[in-house]
Amino acid sequence: MAQGLNLPSAAGREWLRGEARTLRRPLAHSAASTALQTVVAVAQAWLLAGILDAALFRHAALAALWPQWLGLIGLAPVRWWLGQHARRVADGAGLALAVRVRKQLLARAQSLGPLGLRGLASGAAITRLVDGVDALLPYAARYLPQATAAVTVPLLLALFVFPADWISGLALLLTAPLIPVFMVLVGGAAERASRERLAQLTRLGAAFMDALGGLVTLRQLGAAERVADRLERDGEGYRKVTLQVLRIAFLSALVLEFFAAVSIAIVAVLIGFRLLWHEVAFRQGLFILLLAPEFYLPLRALGALRHARMDALAAAAPLAALAEAPVSAASPQGGQGVPPVTAPVARLESVGFAHAGRAGVLEGCSLEIAPCCITALVGASGAGKSTLLDLLLGFATPRSGRVSVDGIDLVDLDLAQWRARIAWLPQQPHVFEGSVRDNLLLVRPAADASAVARAARITGLDTVIARLPQGWDTPLGEHGVGLSGGELQRLALARVWLREGARVLLLDEPTAHLDAVNAAVVERAIRAWASTRAVLVVVHRLETACAADQVAVLEAGRIVEQGPPRELADRGGAFARLLQADQTCAAG
Amino acid sequence: MRRWLSPDASRLFGLLRPWRAWMAIGVLLATVAALSAIGLMAVSGWFIAAMALAGASGAVINYYTPAAAIRGFAIARAGGRYGERLATHDATLRALSGLRAWLFCKLIPLAPARLSALRSADLFARLRADVDVLEQFYLSVLVPVIVAAIGSLAVLLLAAAVLPSSVPVLMLAVIASGVVLPLWVQRRAAADAGAVVREAAELRGLLADALRGHAELLAWGGVDAHAGRIAALDARIAARRRRIGRLEAIGGGGATPLAQLTVAALLVPALSAAHGATLAPPLLVMLALLVLALFELITPLAPALAQWQATLTAARRVFELVDAPPAIREPVEPAAVAASPAIRFEGVRLRYATGAPWALDGVDLDLAPGARLAIVGPSGAGKSSLLLALQKFYPLQRGRILFGGEPLDTLRGDDVRRAIAVIAQRNALFDLSLRDNLRLAAPASTAAQIERALHAAQLDAFVAALPRGLDTPLGEGGARVSGGEARRIAIARALLQDAPVLVLDEPTEGLDATTAARLYAALAIAVRGRSVLLVTHRLGQLAALVDRVAVMRAGRIVECMDTATYLRQARGRGILVRDAIAPA
Repeated sequence: MAQGLNLPSAAGREWLRGEARTLRRPLAHSAASTALQTVVAVAQAWLLAGILDAALFRHAALAALWPQWLGLIGLAPVRWWLGQHARRVADGAGLALAVRVRKQLLARAQSLGPLGLRGLASGAAITRLVDGVDALLPYAARYLPQATAAVTVPLLLALFVFPADWISGLALLLTAPLIPVFMVLVGGAAERASRERLAQLTRLGAAFMDALGGLVTLRQLGAAERVADRLERDGEGYRKVTLQVLRIAFLSALVLEFFAAVSIAIVAVLIGFRLLWHEVAFRQGLFILLLAPEFYLPLRALGALRHARMDALAAAAPLAALAEAPVSAASPQGGQGVPPVTAPVARLESVGFAHAGRAGVLEGCSLEIAPCCITALVGASGAGKSTLLDLLLGFATPRSGRVSVDGIDLVDLDLAQWRARIAWLPQQPHVFEGSVRDNLLLVRPAADASAVARAARITGLDTVIARLPQGWDTPLGEHGVGLSGGELQRLALARVWLREGARVLLLDEPTAHLDAVNAAVVERAIRAWASTRAVLVVVHRLETACAADQVAVLEAGRIVEQGPPRELADRGGAFARLLQADQTCAAG
Repeated sequence: MRRWLSPDASRLFGLLRPWRAWMAIGVLLATVAALSAIGLMAVSGWFIAAMALAGASGAVINYYTPAAAIRGFAIARAGGRYGERLATHDATLRALSGLRAWLFCKLIPLAPARLSALRSADLFARLRADVDVLEQFYLSVLVPVIVAAIGSLAVLLLAAAVLPSSVPVLMLAVIASGVVLPLWVQRRAAADAGAVVREAAELRGLLADALRGHAELLAWGGVDAHAGRIAALDARIAARRRRIGRLEAIGGGGATPLAQLTVAALLVPALSAAHGATLAPPLLVMLALLVLALFELITPLAPALAQWQATLTAARRVFELVDAPPAIREPVEPAAVAASPAIRFEGVRLRYATGAPWALDGVDLDLAPGARLAIVGPSGAGKSSLLLALQKFYPLQRGRILFGGEPLDTLRGDDVRRAIAVIAQRNALFDLSLRDNLRLAAPASTAAQIERALHAAQLDAFVAALPRGLDTPLGEGGARVSGGEARRIAIARALLQDAPVLVLDEPTEGLDATTAARLYAALAIAVRGRSVLLVTHRLGQLAALVDRVAVMRAGRIVECMDTATYLRQARGRGILVRDAIAPA
């Protein structure tokens, strides 16, 4: 009930209709089974009417009626099986739809690319993918089959009632179409009212969970008790308003109930008098009376399932928005292979880049990452250092200029192959659900035990694991043990060192969260790897930059300086100014 | 009734007591509607049989009374249903706001120390679902069960009067289809149902990984493998749901063939009674139709019983939650909080669970009234724990905190918190109007005060651009404002609170330079004339707000110096401060 405030949208309605269309075949199958079940129900009614007719008017004993009696019993499992079957098929269709939609939408969300995903509220997106998609299930598996049955079952029954007694058939058939007519008349208002009621109830629930979620803030503000009173008062206010709305909203249900009940009464009284006047046989009369409730049952069941449709429509709006979100241009497959074996030369050639709808981050930015060399990238936070790494990884394509690997534009390259040659340390590494070992092996599923042990030793992850309750098998992630910043950093570093085949290292602040001793160990390890690889390191400490082979200073969207740190220090440019500022601080 | 109910169940009934009159009205109307439906079918059956017999024998028959009864039942059925819906929804809504207020009041003293649901999205989602289940208890469990019980009893009594030998058959049918079958289905489905809940949580986790860890999966070439894991798990869940659905279909759909079988079984004694002339023939027809109508009441029992189990589970979890003893015991006779309190930490140690590492490991700290102190340190150093301890949210294992010279133990938590205004990185806003959000801490604020606070927080332009000005609702959790706006709203709120102590918790974290710059001016106004405690992992331009800096590491304050000294030392260590690289 308290599932966010999603109001149905036209796009959502359209999308839902399109998805429902894909279920046409299984739903037709289900509907056929329901129709057969109705035929069996008709047969049972005919048999029962026959037995009672014989008992009343021919004083037959049960012994004389055993074929009909056995038929009545024998048809029960048939009717049961058909009902089961109809539901099973519909369930299967609904579940298959949910699985398929979830898969499609996940692929869709991922095609936004890493940068696009950063802008997506991932909590809300996950709720959509789990709960939103699940809301389609009752709609597809219950509401849609029932909507078909509400039309087919009454028509089918009429087919049998007419030959038995056309006047009763007419009475039923005339009241049945009246129901939709009246429901449309009352229903326009009722539908709007019931939607409003749903929205109000949702808002009420949302306000409650909203207050609960911010309970600590409310206590800080000393407002918790006041808000509690307010919740109760608002609840009472909503109740009064809602009931006014319900009085009208339930009218459409009243119309349905009224016709269902009154038409049974009309048929019963009508048949009674026509029996008295010998205008109809008792068996036929009873047969029709037995079928009369069945006539309205599917319509009433449909009314009870209306909420399933409302839920699905509410869920469909954001799902449709996700399904129609623009996709990033970069496609990972296809393109030229990456030249193998040696460390490639990667270049940014006067690259310009801006995040969607924001001011430019990089403008005319050029940088070369040479093999067997450590290039340190320095710059203020927010200068675009991580964005530069994103471009090198092919997570985003430059707006102007190009990124090249050994002279080939990254756009023309097979990105998967290119990335396979990179070991990347992100600024905020993600911890996946699973054990420590799972988290490490994700980067190289086929790694052998000695490679894993080596990576853990170099990065100091082994001492972290020694402290964990279940060692390598300790579960991590939201349901597992939380890691401190330093522990997480070592896990992320171990992932990098497990990618022994990588020829390009992109490291975003590798020594962040580490103490001096561990930082020194990691810096030595980077130096050792650099002998055969190209390394780009984003650094915050200037002394680390001074130990690199090359320093690149990123300022105002471009590399303002690049060269060996000693040379740069003497040149009196941006890097020298940085060092100067540092030294003045230290001296003063 | 209480005696044979489980403690959780009887406590749940106790909670609903205040609304029992309203609930009874709903049940009464539902029963009227249900009995009318049975009556309509039974009398109709009797009527056409009697009319047919009269027609055959040429006997005179009073058809006015039964025809009127049929019409009456029809109208009572429709009207009863309408009334039932209104009354049950009325009762549900009454109980709903009452239950929510009860739960909320119970949870207030538990936050945040005893309320892990506030820290885990998963637990919060479960609490939300549990509350939903409890709110639906009356409508989806109580009403159908009571109506089915009364209706069955009425049918049995009527059947006993007409044909005593039919009673055992009917009782057997009611018990088999209304109780035994649903319970059997539930037991068979229990393992799968439990697994679905577990696996759905797992699916949520995998999807979160797929979205939040997408960049890494892409860099490692693991996107397809991960998508494969998700698809496999989803397929497994679907298979379980299919099995559960099949069982439910047996429970719900099983009632229909049972109805036919019951009629067939009933025919054995009924036909022999009719044959032996101990049962009037019209009553024979009535009995058959009575049974069919009875099953309309029994079919809803299967979902109601399943819901009952879910209700008990939800109730148990909610009761466990609210029964947790508060982490903080409030003093019986609280001391008064000083008008401008000095703050003093003496050897404070705090950890969140026995055996957990110390979050605060012997903190000593002094903050004179009007002093402004920054506490810097890497994440995980214990800065946030220090603030939580100061606000009397967590008990201390060792040491004490003096607030205005009084130990926190002797002060009421609410009084302490009233004296502390907080501006944080994340400031919870609520789905109230902007005005109500601002007035949360100071409900008596005048329009002029609010205007002044908005001006100081540089929100004039923001408010002017809002469609309904101060009456604009901010959305769930303040979803309709940006991060920078939310922080400025929090500043305005803190200004209105007029507390002698101001706490700033990473107030500019995660903002771009322009937004942050706009914030400094507002913050500079907010700190005027108050004691300030600023917590951050990077000082930057916030240095202008404070006189002294304390460095925190691993739960302790390791050094304390004036701001200028700190900035010099920080630069000496080669830490790039934002201002150091900005073009002069």
